[in-house]
Amino acid sequence: MRKSFITGIALVLVLAAGWTAFSGQDSQYLERLDNWAFESPRRPGAVFSHDDHIMDLDDDCSICHHVYEDGKLVPGESSEDYYCSDCHGLKPAPDNSMPLEAAYHKLCRDCHFDEGQGPVLCGECHIKE
Amino acid sequence: MNSFIAFIMGPMVWISAIIFLGGLLFKFIGIIQSVRSKEPYVFSYLTVKHSLRSIGAWLIPFFPKSTRLSPVYYGISYVFHIFLFVIPLFLASHIVLFNEAFQISWPALNDGVADWLSLAVIAALVFFAIRRQMVPEVKYLTSGSDYLLIFLVALPFITGYLAYHQWFAYRWMVVAHVLSGELMLIMIPFSRFSHMLTAPLTRAYMGSEFGNVRHARDW
Amino acid sequence: MQSQDNTMTDPSNETKQAEKAKQKATDPAIEAGLERLTPERIKKTINQVLEKETGPRFKAYVETCMRCGLCAEACSYFLSNDRDPRFMPAAKVKNTIWEMLVKKGEVSRDFLREAVRISHLECNVCKRCAMYCPFGIDIAYMMLLVRRICHKLEITPQYIQDTVNSHSVTLNQMWVKDDEWIDTLQWQEEDAREEFEDLQIPLDKMGADIMYSVIAPEPKFQAGLIYQTAAMMHAAGIDWTMPSTPGWDNSNMAMYTGDNEISGRIAKAFFETAAKLRVKRIVMGECGHAFRSVYDMGNRWNSWVMPPFEVVHALAFYHELLTEGRITIAEKYKKKVTLHDPCNVSRGRGLHDKAREVVNMVCEDFVDMVPNREHNFCCGAGGGVINCGPPYKGERMVNNRNKAEQLAATGAEVLIAPCHNCHSGLEDIIQHYDLKMEIKFLGDLMYETMEKKIYKPGA
Ligand code: HEM
Ligand code: SF4
Ligand code: SF4
Ligand code: SF4
Repeated sequence: MRKSFITGIALVLVLAAGWTAFSGQDSQYLERLDNWAFESPRRPGAVFSHDDHIMDLDDDCSICHHVYEDGKLVPGESSEDYYCSDCHGLKPAPDNSMPLEAAYHKLCRDCHFDEGQGPVLCGECHIKE
Repeated sequence: MNSFIAFIMGPMVWISAIIFLGGLLFKFIGIIQSVRSKEPYVFSYLTVKHSLRSIGAWLIPFFPKSTRLSPVYYGISYVFHIFLFVIPLFLASHIVLFNEAFQISWPALNDGVADWLSLAVIAALVFFAIRRQMVPEVKYLTSGSDYLLIFLVALPFITGYLAYHQWFAYRWMVVAHVLSGELMLIMIPFSRFSHMLTAPLTRAYMGSEFGNVRHARDW
Repeated sequence: MQSQDNTMTDPSNETKQAEKAKQKATDPAIEAGLERLTPERIKKTINQVLEKETGPRFKAYVETCMRCGLCAEACSYFLSNDRDPRFMPAAKVKNTIWEMLVKKGEVSRDFLREAVRISHLECNVCKRCAMYCPFGIDIAYMMLLVRRICHKLEITPQYIQDTVNSHSVTLNQMWVKDDEWIDTLQWQEEDAREEFEDLQIPLDKMGADIMYSVIAPEPKFQAGLIYQTAAMMHAAGIDWTMPSTPGWDNSNMAMYTGDNEISGRIAKAFFETAAKLRVKRIVMGECGHAFRSVYDMGNRWNSWVMPPFEVVHALAFYHELLTEGRITIAEKYKKKVTLHDPCNVSRGRGLHDKAREVVNMVCEDFVDMVPNREHNFCCGAGGGVINCGPPYKGERMVNNRNKAEQLAATGAEVLIAPCHNCHSGLEDIIQHYDLKMEIKFLGDLMYETMEKKIYKPGA
């Protein structure tokens, strides 16, 4: 009984390892985001390819560098001259409904889910250093 | 693939949480109703005072004599049960997900600590499995289902541990982690894991029989 | 808790002999019963009991047991048999009722022969294991369920079945005839009058404070115990009575064979006897299982949550007599004594502390056994095991090694056993293991040491 379990897990692990090894989706433009805005980050900064995103999003910067006023998205306005942390404070507060960490997570992950591609799991962005 | 992950990390979490909590609730109601109709005498003897007395006595580590006669097993099991709840509930990654879904957050364990604790849980489960082989009276009672239960608990911890370290097949490891965690939750009401619910009930009854009728201690 | 430093060696290699005896010990009642069984009847009976006579409690026990093995340390059988796993509490369940559940009642005769043996001879239903299982799973309850099934299949061991038959016919355990009972009481009264003039054993005295009741072996062959009690009652000036009619016996072997109907009848007759006499409370002699019957089990079968009368075990009664000063001790008993806690009044009623107080009031030199109080080891005779009779004595002695070791470790000269079953069982142990010990009831010592006052009303 136990033996077959162990062989079972081993088999799954080997297959899975093989699958990731050959399904390289790595971009050649990967860089690690600088997470200086976080006081004591738990994880290393996310890896990210700005160039790939510009291409994929047809140069529409405002999709990510958005502007919100009174909780509403202002269409067409973009904010690439600001740091994310200029608007998104670290701690949740009445005038900060979207703290910095959640802002990042939601922006990236929700889009990746919607688009059906891109990393969505913790360690897919916060790759160990 | 992303939509599959979205499913197991979204609706499937709900489904398993509902089966887990609803299943236990359903089971609890079933027990109470069946006590009412078939063994109403249970209520004649059950007292809150003696139930709590017995449960309390058995929650104090190494207070009951039985636990002092098997200190190693009992100690490990005690710690295992605590970590079993503490790790998933206070893991930063879990809290982050929870926070993003419900805007509720609470203090998290340090990742490094949680990592060691998970290893401790896995070690405890390995110990349980080996003990089942080594101690004759336990071996005599043991059947495949006991290993299966140990394996079911171990799986989310092993995959979680490996995923955290991103050693290999990260994506698959997380998928396996999420699915095995959900499987464990779902299995709780339908397996002997339901001792989570019945343990306080059987203890309360025995505690009441001893305290209320027998005027004796049951620890 | 095996006391390694003090392991008993079985005299003359009797373990092996008993092992052989065990294989041979055939019980005509069991064998004849098994012969009569058909697979249909077995299946029907088992399922009837499991489905109709159990409920959520049994279900919870089966579903909750994690096979952790912690209950093993509780059981004398396990400890006495060199930790043979077959004797651990959960294993007894595994080998009986779990199997019946899994096979849905389709079990063989050989399986049932084993089930009778396990439930009747290898468990004292002492409930010690319920204190060692972290879930409080009641193995004794499940062993009694197995006995219930055996009863319904009519494969109960011969000797204990005979006591049940006696209960059924005479309402006492030993075929004591009605006139024999009254004769015995009068004979004890007469004898006692030589020591205490005017002593009476009042029969059927309406409205007395106390009805005193005993088990049938007392009139049958231990009538001196009634004498001693009468002396105490007299010296203490108690308003008491004994019933002359059936219902005087508080013992209840049917409770241990799973013959719940007869068990209930016995307890009912007992309480009705007390009710007829309109007594205030019931005091009973030094017996454990009888106490369990009228304090814990018989009342339940008759739908009384608690007994309809206050039931006072001799231990508590002695305590009362001494602390109220109704009886004074002339000179304390000198020899070194130890006390066996009968499960049914210690784990069963928490009288262990009172018992120690009494012993200390009566004796000079008391040494405790380890473990003690609720954690005591059963004498190994209780729960109907000794009542399965001489054919099984050899294996009973093997199964009681643990108790022998515990007794020997005390170094006491006198063993006090305030329970009839324990008394007989421990006597066998003392003989078999050649322990240099005398065995006594607490009443023996009370009687021996008390001031033999002659009670004068109003004085
Ligand atoms: C919160 C209530 C719970 C209580 C009071 C409880 C209590 C116990 C007790 C008393 C035992 C047996 C003896 C011992 O190991 O000390 C046990 C064993 C066990 N429990 Fe729990 N438990 C709880 C929840 C859980 C949950 C939620 C799981 C897993 C999903 C679990 C998994 C296990 C396992 C695998 C064993 C067997 C260990 C072995 O193989 O020896 N328990 N539990
Ligand atoms: S009730 Fe007593 S004799 Fe029976 S299994 Fe439990 S500890 Fe052993
Ligand atoms: S101690 Fe309780 S749970 Fe553990 S094996 Fe024994 S009966 Fe089962
Ligand atoms: S005979 Fe005595 S020790 Fe043994 S079960 Fe009865 S009360 Fe317990």
